[in-house]
Amino acid sequence: MALLEVEKVTKRFGGLVALNDVSFSVAQGEILGIIGPNGAGKTTLFSAISGFAPPSSGDVRFDGTSIVGVLPDRLVRRGLIRSFQIVQTFADMTTLDVVTTAALTRRPIREAIDYAAHVLGRVGLAGKEHLTPLTLSLQDKKLLELAKCLATDPRCILLDEVMAGLTMAETDKPIAVVRELNRQGVTIVMVEHVMPVIMQLATRMVVINFGEKIAEGSPADIVKDQHVIDAYFGEHLDA
Amino acid sequence: MRPEFYKVLASPVLWGILILAAPLPFLLPSYYLHIVILSLVYVALASSWNIVGGMAGQISLAHSLFIGTGAMLSTALLLKLGINMWVGLLISAAISAMLAAMIAWIDYRFRLGHLSFVLITLAFAEMGGLVVEGWDFLGGASGLLLPRDTGHFLDFQFGGSHGAFWVMLLLAVVCVLVNVAILNAPLGYYLRTIRDNENAARAIGVNVLRYKVAAMVISAVLASIVGTAYVRYLTFADPYLLISPVITIEIVLFATVGGLGSAFGPALGALLLVPLGEILRGQLGGVLPGLHYFIYGIVVIAVILITPQGLLPLFERLWKRRPGAAATRPPTVAP
Repeated sequence: MALLEVEKVTKRFGGLVALNDVSFSVAQGEILGIIGPNGAGKTTLFSAISGFAPPSSGDVRFDGTSIVGVLPDRLVRRGLIRSFQIVQTFADMTTLDVVTTAALTRRPIREAIDYAAHVLGRVGLAGKEHLTPLTLSLQDKKLLELAKCLATDPRCILLDEVMAGLTMAETDKPIAVVRELNRQGVTIVMVEHVMPVIMQLATRMVVINFGEKIAEGSPADIVKDQHVIDAYFGEHLDA
Repeated sequence: MRPEFYKVLASPVLWGILILAAPLPFLLPSYYLHIVILSLVYVALASSWNIVGGMAGQISLAHSLFIGTGAMLSTALLLKLGINMWVGLLISAAISAMLAAMIAWIDYRFRLGHLSFVLITLAFAEMGGLVVEGWDFLGGASGLLLPRDTGHFLDFQFGGSHGAFWVMLLLAVVCVLVNVAILNAPLGYYLRTIRDNENAARAIGVNVLRYKVAAMVISAVLASIVGTAYVRYLTFADPYLLISPVITIEIVLFATVGGLGSAFGPALGALLLVPLGEILRGQLGGVLPGLHYFIYGIVVIAVILITPQGLLPLFERLWKRRPGAAATRPPTVAP
């Protein structure tokens, strides 16, 4: 059964249609990649699913029930969490404090602290527990975004460009973490610009352009799809 | 609860200070005892305000509303309706809690920014003042006079300044310990994330409304109880002192100078600034009118410039650098 179903989701900001009639579903245990040019509506889609900016029309179902209008923190408790493309930092807290807060979603405080330390180690931030997130490098900030998501014990994670801005070598760690998570049964939906990363990870892909879904299929099919090539490289001049 | 809370509870420093402070009423002349009691009142108030203003980072100017409710309402209930002041304390605290929850809800519902929150809370505080001034039940503009304190504990009487000292010492310790407890409990984590980034807090599962209301209510209930005890000590329920935003500004000042958001910072600020203000007033008030305010202002500005994070972090740094401190001592090289 599909864990996450997006059905005819439209999002308008005033006269601007940021998402138009987008539908797709994500099966339990899948890694779905979402790609599309800048401004295609990928982050808006994540905001619509995760409760930060509910859709103007259409339905989003998680585990069979509609989640339109459910607040983000309730969704986190139900097991659906998103990361942010622009890393969200907390000025006056250590990385351990931040991840502990996330872990408090399902654990009493002492357990949450231990679990947060464990999660930080797992994403590769061991030894950086007592730094403030502001002083972390970009790579470490992205790993912290990942750690925050992990600490809430999610069933489904929406990852918004966790690899963007990293060098290929730097993406190894997050890729390994995402793989391992998925092996443990966590469903993953990821928006990503870095094509080699998403080609490696995704089991299926959805392509969005100008707020509409233009293609869906396996990574191998997607790269051959004419619509996708047009969207990324411009249309052929057939005249 | 993190084990750190129990460490503070079991700390010999805490109990040592309490044991040393307990006999002060027998040792101090009444003028100095008054200054100490006043300091304790402000330790309690600044610590209670810190829960909203420091930990949750919401500069609430509504604190006088809760102090005033605790003071004026409990007094009015006793004088006008003959309701025992202990019961009055509970009724005032419950009403303060409701007002606090309402303000927190308004803040959440209308997504007030920082400045709007400051102004709205100020508006509520002013409204509270107007209600008291315009309503004879609460004493109107002339205030209310409590019966003399004859030491009947069951009538919320503690026997003048000796008793008031112990009551205030207890309240100050309770307010500081509530701060310690919150910082070591999930609520402390939630409030700090809300302070730093409300949306990001929500994104990791923090129920922003619930914890904002919780912070505001805890803060208001403590302030209300301190207000009731304070008016019992003063005997006179003066609306211009107890439900005026001026008292809030003083509290914000003490908390900021001491160190916002930390458990002991606001207490430290009040313990240093209240006696400083009172002594300056006593020494210089007759020399040149206003001179004590001037010097007080210079001291406060200097402290804020030297240590913007407050005095507590400064003291902590000095403590670590003291001669013999293990952590920062350079390794000794054997000759």
